[in-house]
Amino acid sequence: MPKTNNKVVLETKNIVKKFPGVIALKGIDFNLYKGEVHALVGQNGAGKSTFVKILNGIYVADKGEIIINGKKVNIRKPIDAKRHGITLVHQEVTLIPYLSVAENIYMAKIPFTKSPFTRINKKVLEEFSEKYLGLLGIKIDPWIKVKELSVGEQQLVQIARALAENANIICLDEPTSALTPAEVERLFQIIRDLKKSGKSIIFITHHIDEVFRIADRVTILRDGEKIATLDVNKVKPLDVVKLMLGREPSRFYISREKKHIAKETPILMVKNLSTEPEKIRGIRLQNISFDLYKGEILGVVGLLGAGKTELGKALIGIEKIISGEIYIEGRKARIKSPSDALRYGIYYLPENRRTEGLVLLLTVRENIILSSIDRLARTLGLRSIDREKQIAIQWIKRLNIVTPSTETRAMNLSGGNQQKVVIAKALESRPKILVFDEPTMGIDIGTKVEIRKIISELATQGLSVILMSSDIDEILALSDRILILYKGRQVALLPNKDLTRDQLMDMISGGRQVFETPIFPTT
Amino acid sequence: MSSSEKFRLLIDLWKRISVYEEVKPLIALIGLFIASAILSPHFLSPYNQRILLLQTAPLAMLALGESMIILMGSIDLSPGSVMALSGTVAAITFINYQQPLPIAILAGLATGALVGFINGLLVTKAKIPSFVATLAALVAGRGMVLILTGGQPIVGLTSFRIFTNEIIGIPVMVWIFILFTIINIFLLKRTSLGLKVYAIGGNEEAARYSGINADMIKLGIFTLAGTYYAIGGLMMNARLEVAYPWTGWGYELDAIASSVLGGIQLTGGAGSPLGPTLGAYILTLITNILILMGVNPYVQWVVKGAVLAIAATALTRGLKYVK
Repeated sequence: MPKTNNKVVLETKNIVKKFPGVIALKGIDFNLYKGEVHALVGQNGAGKSTFVKILNGIYVADKGEIIINGKKVNIRKPIDAKRHGITLVHQEVTLIPYLSVAENIYMAKIPFTKSPFTRINKKVLEEFSEKYLGLLGIKIDPWIKVKELSVGEQQLVQIARALAENANIICLDEPTSALTPAEVERLFQIIRDLKKSGKSIIFITHHIDEVFRIADRVTILRDGEKIATLDVNKVKPLDVVKLMLGREPSRFYISREKKHIAKETPILMVKNLSTEPEKIRGIRLQNISFDLYKGEILGVVGLLGAGKTELGKALIGIEKIISGEIYIEGRKARIKSPSDALRYGIYYLPENRRTEGLVLLLTVRENIILSSIDRLARTLGLRSIDREKQIAIQWIKRLNIVTPSTETRAMNLSGGNQQKVVIAKALESRPKILVFDEPTMGIDIGTKVEIRKIISELATQGLSVILMSSDIDEILALSDRILILYKGRQVALLPNKDLTRDQLMDMISGGRQVFETPIFPTT
Repeated sequence: MSSSEKFRLLIDLWKRISVYEEVKPLIALIGLFIASAILSPHFLSPYNQRILLLQTAPLAMLALGESMIILMGSIDLSPGSVMALSGTVAAITFINYQQPLPIAILAGLATGALVGFINGLLVTKAKIPSFVATLAALVAGRGMVLILTGGQPIVGLTSFRIFTNEIIGIPVMVWIFILFTIINIFLLKRTSLGLKVYAIGGNEEAARYSGINADMIKLGIFTLAGTYYAIGGLMMNARLEVAYPWTGWGYELDAIASSVLGGIQLTGGAGSPLGPTLGAYILTLITNILILMGVNPYVQWVVKGAVLAIAATALTRGLKYVK
């Protein structure tokens, strides 16, 4: 609750933004107090990101006013916003990968330097960057190239850069999505400090609990409309969720009958798998061993940097394996590439749908059949477009994919529907083992539930699933057994029985050994 | 019906037909054709139209090959050199080694395929960006032509006239490039190979994760493109009845320009397979009409450049997604 004099630093009136075929914002009135943390929540496509992008001059509103400190302003470019003391920390990393951390942070100052020949030397860069890295309390070598940092570290550098702009209004677009709990805690401390020093913060998040931990007020958007602005103190989390969804949230986490593991040949067995990262600071998997049975869901948990993605990619021959074996249905498998993996029936659904999962320029139909094209094509690789359409329509119905037609380009679909197209593509290839890497990350709650149901049904139908997720509740709800990773090492492999959220949290953060399973020393 | 309603109907119609990628280049082609017919009385003469098609043929083959590579998100700078090298090898096999024409033609085709294959190996195995790999082929290929010919043209290729002979009043080599245009449309739009090409150009990472063996496809397409350039080289031998060492000099840029004029996105993954042929015809037509009008030959370059810039602007307008 802002005890400050409630001085409005930013106000918008009737902001309207149209994109081809969709009205993204339908007249948003909004205000922000000095020294306030104002959370902005809503499902995907609600208009949160569009709204802050308008405040920051990345988009220009079709209608409406932006008023800063009581004066109407005209923001048409990012530099206009910065001059008015507004800045945005993007959800995706917008640093320059081949420049050092110091140079990236100093970049914030460049638009405000008068002479293009301002002297910049190593010392200037170092002092400047260390000042702002210091504010965040993070220790990063300012001379390391940004591309060598983890996503979490890059996110923190972005925040440091925003601080370096000396903005009074800082918009954070899902800043915590790539951070570890410790990093989130640090970020929240930083936000509290910023608040004390009189800065105002617009905080976009998918996590309702974060709203209640850090925000003073919360504004709920749904389908481009402002539903409400509420004092966080006077509202319960469930009410916010209800307002976001526009309906009673039935169940977000579906429960499933846990499979009793029979004494059969495992469909997949991994023995002492170790990998060599391509990048110097990449994650090295060490001695990972587990097995997977027909119809089983094996949950894989771990923090950012624990090696979940690397494990998934090792199974399809992308991460370089230096020792260890993979057995499929009892036979040793040689997997050098995703196409080899496809032949063995292993399908990996990547975390980054847009960069690794889909060909955005191709249609929904073409994406769905992409992995099965050799099976579907007749002699000489001849395709039957009609047959492809039938297949696409079947998947669209079965997975409830919202798309105008089979011939819509994948880039025009929402995140959740894109994820469903990736799932359709994987299933059409008729795999035996599905490896889901963060299947519900960055997707609206409604679709999350649908995707969880799909995963559960697939296991019931006899497919084996490896589910990698940073959503602990998702893992607990769906998995038969849980593999816990910490910094590339296997902490434990446990049946999902009598396991509490707190115990799991403890183990993924590299904590004590809780059960009598082998634990490897962590360095 | 009021005029504003008519106008709206026209806009509606345009919106409906402009979703087809071929529409813009086709309209440009028709517009330029009509304008040329008005500008010069000689333009429509059968003689000039025949020349125009004969000149289009080799460039169209280059553009068809190049466009497949651009669709994959790569680039090929070697078409001009490969064309010259293939033509030279065919000419030497025929003249110096006294081999029958079919053998000479096969030798030319094999040369093109080989250089394309090497380009493919450089890109997929040596992991050299295609721009650099094919730049090497551009330079080395031309060097080989000059070594083989000693810098002198190889004359006496009258037997290559089988390419300029007419069937139903149209030269064989024109039929060939029309046939290959149809083959490309079929290959790219109706076969699994085509889908893989578009997928790799659209998002190579996702294509690989989807189980597509991208290296194999690249190798195949570079080889196929090299063969197309070789056909272009044989056409040049036929048209000139001489194998010049400087044949195809600068043609790689015309091949790329034809692809762009035809609506192939330089970043890969989008564009109609018919486009490059239309682009090659447009480019040749511009040169043709300027010659007919007696414009200073150097001005032609400026006009071509301007047309390219205008066409590229028109094609990218309204695009939501440019890589």
